Amino acid sequence: MSMPQLAPNIQDKTQIRQKSLLQRNRDSYLWIKVIIGLIAAVLFILPVIWMIFVSLKPDGYVTKNPVEWFLPPYTLDNYTRLLEESLILKWTWNSFIVAFITTLLSLLVTSLAAFAISRLKFRYKNFILVFFLLGLMIPGEATIIPLYEVAKSLGLIDTYAGLILPMIASSMGIIVLKSFFDNVPKELIESAVIDGCSTFKLFYKIILPLSKPAISAIGIFTFIGSWNNFLWPYLATLSEDLYTLPVGIPVFNSNYSTAYVLPMTANAIASIPVIIAFLIFEKQIVKGISFTGIKG
Amino acid sequence: MRKKLLIQDLKAIPYLLPFFLVYVVFTIFPVFKGFEMSLHEWKLVGKVDFIGIENYKKMISDPFFWETLWNTTKFVIYTTPTMILLALGLALLANLKTKLKKFFRAAYFLPSILSVSVISFLAIYMLQPYNGFVNTFLHLIGIQAEPFWIADKKLAWVAIVVVTLWWTVGFNMILFLAALQDIPDSLYEAAEIDGASRWQMFIHITLPQLVPIGKVILLLQIIASYKVFAQIMLITGGGPGGTTRPLIQYIYEVGFNKNLMGYAATMSYALFMILLILSIVQLRYQRKEN
Repeated sequence: MSMPQLAPNIQDKTQIRQKSLLQRNRDSYLWIKVIIGLIAAVLFILPVIWMIFVSLKPDGYVTKNPVEWFLPPYTLDNYTRLLEESLILKWTWNSFIVAFITTLLSLLVTSLAAFAISRLKFRYKNFILVFFLLGLMIPGEATIIPLYEVAKSLGLIDTYAGLILPMIASSMGIIVLKSFFDNVPKELIESAVIDGCSTFKLFYKIILPLSKPAISAIGIFTFIGSWNNFLWPYLATLSEDLYTLPVGIPVFNSNYSTAYVLPMTANAIASIPVIIAFLIFEKQIVKGISFTGIKG
Repeated sequence: MRKKLLIQDLKAIPYLLPFFLVYVVFTIFPVFKGFEMSLHEWKLVGKVDFIGIENYKKMISDPFFWETLWNTTKFVIYTTPTMILLALGLALLANLKTKLKKFFRAAYFLPSILSVSVISFLAIYMLQPYNGFVNTFLHLIGIQAEPFWIADKKLAWVAIVVVTLWWTVGFNMILFLAALQDIPDSLYEAAEIDGASRWQMFIHITLPQLVPIGKVILLLQIIASYKVFAQIMLITGGGPGGTTRPLIQYIYEVGFNKNLMGYAATMSYALFMILLILSIVQLRYQRKEN
């Protein structure tokens, strides 16, 4: 809550005194709240910190003292061992390439359609818009069994294309981009058209650059969503070579016994890239959530 | 005139067609395909027999369908109110006038970006009995209990709910935070002049202003929670003894382990109908708000 500012026309001294009393009252509990906030923040990041420290321990390390997890000796042996002996590098690459292409294609296909609906004239436009938005009411989880059949009959099971294509069409993307494109000032578009700008040029030279905030927000969400997607890659991949990280990580649970260090190293390898991306893009992510309300 | 319209239509087609194709094939068509499958005895490979509404009859009398649907509903009941209170509390903390507020926001949101496999794995290892981080920490602060977080029927639910809250509260916290920052200062100024206390302001200004976004979060949360699957399957495997197994896990097992794709599609349809009703309610409500 922001500090109230005194309206300039208020001269009454009793009111001013009341106000300063209130302000003292206002701040007196702040430090308690900040401490509660700090404890909560530490609890939220502690598991992630613990994971990273465990990954730096010698293989097979176990302790009954929780503090000792964080103390030296540290080693990077687990990382080299996992990268050399397991498929985790391949899985990281799969996750990256699938997330990257999904994001690129999704942005391309969705922004083209949103542009047509927002800026071009054609018949049955409202019908098409409503049809494209029906997807908001079709949860992927509830159609996953028939989707598997569709992908199977198209020969997409156990292929990169099978991991990417079903995840491209986003009704949410259509809504967000259309409303963004709608808000591009009319004068800009009219003057471009008068200058002889073609429709496609209008799209990629004027509309797209002006919609960067929306595009980057949707892009970040699509990328993170794809990077972390579990259910579809779990069903659509058969060979270990094609696993993405979320599908591959549980393999360590069975293959490498219940020792802590290697599984947590696998976890850290899967998480460090997204944590770095998060620290870089935190502002856009937060903004993106508050103007789209996109979940996950 | 007609020709001009046609030219305009043709011009729009290349822009619409790519989206249209992937959307129809992978989003719309599976809905109809699912209905077709639900009317057949459908195997992973090969044989397909039309059996009418047999699958639906089977579903109605399948105790596991009702049990897993109830487990999913339990998950919704446990997580929704706690999620809203926690999200609101964290949003208030991240909105405090302190230099740490950006750190708070980032810390509360951080788990949300992790993969479900990572957080599930993390939970399994942290919640181990005897030498897991949580239990050894309890011992350190003098609590000599040895809770079996994953193997005990009640504690398994506690573990799933706490892990889910920790993992997903960030999104809702940010929605509340944005709404908090949108409350006009003038409302607080006016109340202050009237001599309102801080608590009164919270009750009479802050909370009412948060009701609209709170309702949106409530509905989005219920819809999202009905789709729960991965973290439960990975942490408890649906156990102990099926007490935490959600509907989607059962659908998966029936389809892929028991090779009854038609019946799995039938139960997916039931879930689809529940979610459809919830999303219609949600869209109606959101339209009214706007």
